[in-house]
Amino acid sequence: MNVRLILAVIVARLAMLASRLTGRGRGSSLPGKLALRIYPDILKHYRGQPRKGVIMVTGTNGKTTTNNMLMGILEQAGHKVVANLEGANLMTGVVTAFIRSGSITGRISRDYAALEVDEAVFPLVTSWIKPDMVVVTNFFRDQLDRYGELDTTVKKVLEALKKLSGNVKLILNSDDPLVARLAADSGLPALYYGVLPVQGLSTGASYSREAKFCPLCGAVLHYGIYIYSQLGNYSCPGCGFARPNPDLEASAVLEEGTGGIKAMVRGTEDHWEIRLPVRGIHNLYNALAAFSASLSLGVNPQTALASLGNYLPATGRMESFRYHNRRVLLNLVKNPTGFNRALCALLGDHGAPKQEILIAINDNDADGRDISWLWDVDFEMLALHPEKFSRFVCSGQRAEDMALRLKYAGVPVWMVEIEREYRQAVDQVLNGKGESVGILATYTALWPVEKILSRQAERVKEHDDYSLSSVS
Amino acid sequence: MTITVCHLYPDLLNLYGDRGNVMAFTQRCRWRGMPVRIIEVNLGDQVQFEDYDFLFIGGGSDREQGLMAQDMTNRVDNLRRAVDDGLVVLAICGGYQLMGKYYRMPDGNAIPGLGLMEHYTEAGDNRLIGNVVVEAELDGIKTRLVGFENHGGRTILNGTRPLGKVVHGGGNNGSDGTEGARYKNVFCSYLHGPLLPKNPTLTDLLITLSLQRRGRGRLLEPLDDNFEDRANQAMVKKLLGRKA
Repeated sequence: MNVRLILAVIVARLAMLASRLTGRGRGSSLPGKLALRIYPDILKHYRGQPRKGVIMVTGTNGKTTTNNMLMGILEQAGHKVVANLEGANLMTGVVTAFIRSGSITGRISRDYAALEVDEAVFPLVTSWIKPDMVVVTNFFRDQLDRYGELDTTVKKVLEALKKLSGNVKLILNSDDPLVARLAADSGLPALYYGVLPVQGLSTGASYSREAKFCPLCGAVLHYGIYIYSQLGNYSCPGCGFARPNPDLEASAVLEEGTGGIKAMVRGTEDHWEIRLPVRGIHNLYNALAAFSASLSLGVNPQTALASLGNYLPATGRMESFRYHNRRVLLNLVKNPTGFNRALCALLGDHGAPKQEILIAINDNDADGRDISWLWDVDFEMLALHPEKFSRFVCSGQRAEDMALRLKYAGVPVWMVEIEREYRQAVDQVLNGKGESVGILATYTALWPVEKILSRQAERVKEHDDYSLSSVS
Repeated sequence: MTITVCHLYPDLLNLYGDRGNVMAFTQRCRWRGMPVRIIEVNLGDQVQFEDYDFLFIGGGSDREQGLMAQDMTNRVDNLRRAVDDGLVVLAICGGYQLMGKYYRMPDGNAIPGLGLMEHYTEAGDNRLIGNVVVEAELDGIKTRLVGFENHGGRTILNGTRPLGKVVHGGGNNGSDGTEGARYKNVFCSYLHGPLLPKNPTLTDLLITLSLQRRGRGRLLEPLDDNFEDRANQAMVKKLLGRKA
């Protein structure tokens, strides 16, 4: 019997209990942090315990959504799954997930572990637990002060993949050159998913493109079509590296008026219709990643599609609330690409004549201490449509910086208010002149805002009545 | 008269929101009724630096930085003539390093700079990362500049005048208390943030100098800087506490 293991588990469980009783925190990181302090090697006890395999989801955007979708599919297919569901994707969050699902002696009885792993800690986590499958969503610029430049992040993930043996399967986004390169470079077998690049899908936001150069030879990449950011169909005139032909490819993408998105998905031998109750092509990519992974694990496609059709977004991933007769949307923002997607969604809301917008920006470690990325977000698109908005309330530790950014984007200053306190800021937008409310918050601002909001507004589970229509 | 702003390599050097510097310069001209034209110059494009009123150079990741350095080397005489003529330049981070003599890598090899200024840079053991406050006297006006630094290089001024004195943060090299550099109308700094929006005193000085070079030396019309001042003050307070 391993006394340190048991002690670590007990302390972590007490921390979970305390968090539940006091209502402070979500108890998704601290328990693991305490356990690791008592027993730094704790993860090795969980290694090999999931009976059918360990799946890791990494990349910049869409990790939480993809992992949640995958867990939903696996459970629908009758498997028992351990997963870190709340975006707690550092070592501490992974450890917490295992402890929560396991016994006092560290035994877990699960078929799969579906783990969302932050791209920067991917090398560390994989040194403890070897994945059988790795899903990579995309690489965008995110919190550079923590990780150094994007090149470094991609290299670290690649180095970690190279250390894994050949029976690891990769599930890769064919449309992101920084992701697609991972197969050739690591020599691991890969299954690709992507979206058929057609002009109609292309959206602006040219400033936050990442890969302008071939990740293999350094020549300038040629693009036929950008879908968004650097996703699209690319080819390198230097070495011939190009978008791989996807094993699963979505086409006929349609944003539905009811607030969902649907598409046809072509596989190597079959094709299906995929319907999601969430908006945005970025969510289609997340669903394709989860769908590809589950097919590769042998899940029946119809089971997977049924699960995806009932997907409910996690906290702050375009979550809907209702306050009196107003629809309130809450969305996490953490980098230019994601922020631009969220702004496009607000602008595409034809149903709401005037919107009150709350933007809460923090600069804690988890948000990224450098907030200069706000200047890479195309807020200029808001200034082009002032008639869609009644007011912008800026909150959080960097409320002033956000207000300044809007000013230089051309938003009239009389439409912009600075209110550092979340409570007042939420009150203002809920009770303002606008007929609907959009709230965008960085990671550490999201939870307090969500807490305040959920006390006053009702969470909407049905997407039909209160959802936005087209994103483009 | 239209003010012509040259944004060098916007597709290549767009790290850390540095394009915000061009936005700040441009908007503060437009808000005063001065029309602005932005010229984006990319690798290999034909340029005549003397024709511009304001030149902005940012920084990029290593590979992009290398491509930029090569391309700029071909233009160095052209740029030197413009700088001697009083062209107003803002160079941030990698752009700052490029204006100097060289950047020495950890392996001892040195990448030559443009040599327009005397400073040189050597790779440090760790990166200097974090919020910065700098005290500067800009043509007689005392101001506190705020920004965010993130650089591995240590820059030694080697006789060049600093932009200001570090009150909080690392600055040029983390040891001599200086931040940035100034030579003629060339302003260099490690500060992202971006630098200009939260430091309107500096932005307005750059605009004034651009106008003076064209023989239009009048005082700038004041603007409502409420948000600018609040953003600047919030950072000063956060870093210096009550001392501020």
